[in-house]
Amino acid sequence: MRQSVLKYVRVRDYLRSLVTHELASGEAIPSERLLCERFGVSRMTVRQAVDALVVEGLLQREQGRGTFVAPAKMDLEVRLSSFGEEMRRRGMEPSSKVLATEEVAASPDIADALDLLPGEQVFYLHRVRFADGEPMAIEQSWLPVRLARGLFDDGAPASIYGELRRRGLEPDWGEDTVAATEVDAQDAKLLGLQVGKAVLRLSRRTFAGQVACVYSRSSYRADRYVLWVPLRAPKRALTPQVSGNGQAGAGSGPIPVSRRRLSCNEGPGNEGPEQ
Amino acid sequence: MKGRSNEGPCDEREPSAVTTQAATILAALGGLANIIDIEPCTTRLRSEVRDATLVDVAALRAAGAHGVMVAGRVVQVVVGPSVDTLASEIEELM
Repeated sequence: MRQSVLKYVRVRDYLRSLVTHELASGEAIPSERLLCERFGVSRMTVRQAVDALVVEGLLQREQGRGTFVAPAKMDLEVRLSSFGEEMRRRGMEPSSKVLATEEVAASPDIADALDLLPGEQVFYLHRVRFADGEPMAIEQSWLPVRLARGLFDDGAPASIYGELRRRGLEPDWGEDTVAATEVDAQDAKLLGLQVGKAVLRLSRRTFAGQVACVYSRSSYRADRYVLWVPLRAPKRALTPQVSGNGQAGAGSGPIPVSRRRLSCNEGPGNEGPEQ
Repeated sequence: MKGRSNEGPCDEREPSAVTTQAATILAALGGLANIIDIEPCTTRLRSEVRDATLVDVAALRAAGAHGVMVAGRVVQVVVGPSVDTLASEIEELM
């Protein structure tokens, strides 16, 4: 049993390298017979390996024709640019289908994300986002009404960030949380996906300085996107000098003389969950 | 800007807004005695504390935090890119 598992992994990883580094999108992969011979494995093992890459979205099976390299997935870079800006940067033409433009009272979760109180008025925009005519993502966005008065006066705006800039708010930082889930029936229809396929769900809070200006939830097709995340080593942690009776004053009293103690540990290992 | 004098405990200038914010955050995390460490993390202060029940989430929000996540003994305070300025003020108070 163990042996066959390892064989399957070897064939799969060989194919993965072939697909990502030697073949172009749309090219056929070597025949099952050839792969069986090359690795000295059964047809079933080869099929398992190919299936895995079909599920991953690297390969596409076409009935009666064979198995081909799927179009490369796009990097979904967690940066503070809008869908439209991002697609143009990649030389693709963005477009949208607007599903809703409404002014509503913020529910507690939306209010919390926008630093508002529940019940305060927010604009709500629901769109399907397309790149070169192909549906790529579904996006729901909420903005405080008082930050973007008249947002829907001329229909749905082409760019939310553009509208904020026109009002003197420059989005300059934010936070994304990303989760993988199966697409629901409604979104599957809008994205042209089979029910049960995977999507990357992004929740984003966008800020301009200290002002929370947009909250959005998007579902990106996992067969067309991979998440790209830049990493760097953690900054050194700051540790209190005295672990005994040290008390931080609440902004009053003299500021103690600074004596620094450096600590280069990597911080607590467990990452706190979001939300 | 706050003077960075090492000569004595008396700072003749008014504490700046960010110094006050740093002090308030330290207090809301349960004070220095409760803090094991604090790490500035792009948009968050990520702190490990001894006792998470001493953390005052409402006070952290009132100090300008856009969110507070507590998981076990790790507390994350969303403050935005000013986290580095804030961290150096916090370091002064530690």
